[in-house]
Amino acid sequence: MKNRTIHFFILLIFSLIMFSFKSSINKMLLDFSLKNINGKILSTSSYKNTKGFIIVFTCNHCPFAKLYSKRLNDLNTKYSKLNVPLLAINSMDSLVYEEETFDLMQQKAKKDKFNFPYLQDGNQVIGKLFGAEHTPTAFVIWKEKNHWTIKYVGSIDDNGEHPEKAKPFIANAVDELLLNKNVTESYTESFGCRIFYRKN
Amino acid sequence: MKKTIFAFLFSFSFIYSKAQYNNMWIPDTLSGTTFNLNIKDTFKQIVSSGQQTITGGINGNFWGPTLFINKGDLVHMNVKNYLNDTTTLHWHGMHLPAVMDGGPHQTIPPGTTWQPYWTVTNNAATYWYHPHLHEMTEEQITKGIGGLIIVRDAIESALALPRKYGVDDIPLVLTDRDFSTANQFQVVPYGDSMLTNGTLRAQYLVPAQVVRFRILNGAIERSYNLGFSDGRSFSVITSDGGLLNAPVAVTKYLLHAGERVEILVNCTGQNGTSVDLKAYNSLLAGNVAGGENFPNGPFANALGKIDFNILHLVIGAQTANPISTFPSTLTTNILLNSANANITRKLTMSDSAGVPGILGPNAFILNHKLFSLNVNDYNVPLNNTEIWEITNSTAFGHPFHIHDVEFNILDVNGVAPSAAQAGWKDVVFVPGKVGPNGTAQVVRFIAKFDDFADSLHPFMFHCHISLHEDEGMMGQFIVTDKATAISDIQKNTPLFSVYPNPTSEKLFVKMDNKNATAYYVKILNALGRTILMLPRPDLTQGIDIRQYAKGVYHLVLTDEEYKQTVSKTFVIE
Repeated sequence: MKNRTIHFFILLIFSLIMFSFKSSINKMLLDFSLKNINGKILSTSSYKNTKGFIIVFTCNHCPFAKLYSKRLNDLNTKYSKLNVPLLAINSMDSLVYEEETFDLMQQKAKKDKFNFPYLQDGNQVIGKLFGAEHTPTAFVIWKEKNHWTIKYVGSIDDNGEHPEKAKPFIANAVDELLLNKNVTESYTESFGCRIFYRKN
Repeated sequence: MKKTIFAFLFSFSFIYSKAQYNNMWIPDTLSGTTFNLNIKDTFKQIVSSGQQTITGGINGNFWGPTLFINKGDLVHMNVKNYLNDTTTLHWHGMHLPAVMDGGPHQTIPPGTTWQPYWTVTNNAATYWYHPHLHEMTEEQITKGIGGLIIVRDAIESALALPRKYGVDDIPLVLTDRDFSTANQFQVVPYGDSMLTNGTLRAQYLVPAQVVRFRILNGAIERSYNLGFSDGRSFSVITSDGGLLNAPVAVTKYLLHAGERVEILVNCTGQNGTSVDLKAYNSLLAGNVAGGENFPNGPFANALGKIDFNILHLVIGAQTANPISTFPSTLTTNILLNSANANITRKLTMSDSAGVPGILGPNAFILNHKLFSLNVNDYNVPLNNTEIWEITNSTAFGHPFHIHDVEFNILDVNGVAPSAAQAGWKDVVFVPGKVGPNGTAQVVRFIAKFDDFADSLHPFMFHCHISLHEDEGMMGQFIVTDKATAISDIQKNTPLFSVYPNPTSEKLFVKMDNKNATAYYVKILNALGRTILMLPRPDLTQGIDIRQYAKGVYHLVLTDEEYKQTVSKTFVIE
């Protein structure tokens, strides 16, 4: 069928996007700053003695992302003590989605008792930099010389509704990094609510 | 000992055979004249273990409620878009004004409520609703957004037909999906797994009596060649848009994307047995969707050109007052007469070689051009009876769907339709030519465009394979009356006022010209987000604004006569 060719091209483009997403592993990043829900600008450079960060792109309204509030608190409780704190970032377009406004981010953090910073990526620059496509998507970045290196990209774990059955991808990755090991499973599929980026 | 082993093996095989099926989900129902439909991002445990699948749902976590509406009722829809994407909701098969139709022009932004309404004029049958956002239809339908509509009328209600929803009157939404290793839907034309009402390996308990199935082909591309594993006969009682004159006995029925059929199956005296409803797709030609067998590439799938189960039916005890026979007659359809046709419109289906704007070297298109939202293809005069003649020169069959009307098939390559297709339809399968040097295939249907003139909003026609539709195999037409056909008259802007201002409960609109009416009203908040969309609103009772926060808002009104738009600012306090 001739229309098969066109679909092949669409799939090819999709594959290239996926490839670029996967290829963000080992990507090097510099420090970045975003506004936290307390109204202050938070910079990764302000963290001293930090070995790495768990970066989770999440948002207010996504039902699947909502399943993870407690797990994010638990991850931060455990790993911030080991100098791997968690930062949550909202890269949703708050001009289009009213539920993603800064005020509602503050309300969500209060309601879910977030024990970690919840940062607004108002210009969607950091989301694009990481290549985050959905909420929730998790990254582990690790300090190497004067930059950060992405060591893990993907899901937080493999069971949204049943944490007791889940394989903890993020925790496993951080545990290995803390032991100076390579991350065994450095890429997993991530999914949830699409992050639509404004065209520049 | 032998007996013990046999008993063990029997028990094991029984347990195993039970374990391989999942009880089929039946969509909830809504009835009445006002329907609240909330379109949401959500998730569902579709694969039996592991990660949940990200889905879209209406009021629930996959698909949507079945709406029961009565012919003659005025129905109101409150559609709220909670997705983080724009969408539309099209009432497939419904005869209603273009501005209420939910096609690609009636986009609902995230967070917005759309309130279409119409008087139901369709005959009793099974219809459906689904997203129709241009270039996004495949993705949004893949998520599972949609639902059935069951229209009831006096003729159907007077017949001795099964009518207990979920008991002997069973909705079946057929589709197939591809799952990633993390159990996520892939946006592809063909899936590897059959999904019946969103259920993998579905089974259902039916009573030992006459059972009615209302079957929708909600697939992206695949056709299903329906039949039963014991080869039993069943009777077709509807085409897409109404009852047939009489039940038509068949052993196979080929259902294409977008089509619906209602069938009667006699299970009387079969308590304790089982039978499978299957897709006999090994019998399909290679140019029918699902009859292809690609070993690899983007169209490869596990269900191509094979027979597979749709639903395992376990037949149980009869209910009280069972239906045990099929009616001999159903209705008297007065079909349209081609002698009354005002025009024959000739459309083509072709490959897109040489047409600019196609992504990649080729696609399927209508009238040898790519669809554009800004180009109107036909002006159809109000009350026209028209023959549409579609010539398919592609080597693939396409289910052609037209909005606004139900039509009668006149012929397929000069041959009158079978009795099971000789009723009211809104999708017709246009066969592909056979072989590269084959003859183009021609389908003719007749329709009457007897209502809903609108100079601004068009109705759509397109291939109902969502992939083809998204790629531009679509066109549009406007129904015009004499008044709307005149385009060079002076266009006055509508003069109106809003009151009270500030307001706290209702906002009233007063047109300076008491004969003027509103074609469209939108309410925007101070940031410019559209929060409420009201096509052709009845403004006599005011607009209820109690649910909105205090602040400054804008009411944007387009008038009916000149389609001119003016905005007013008001305050909610």
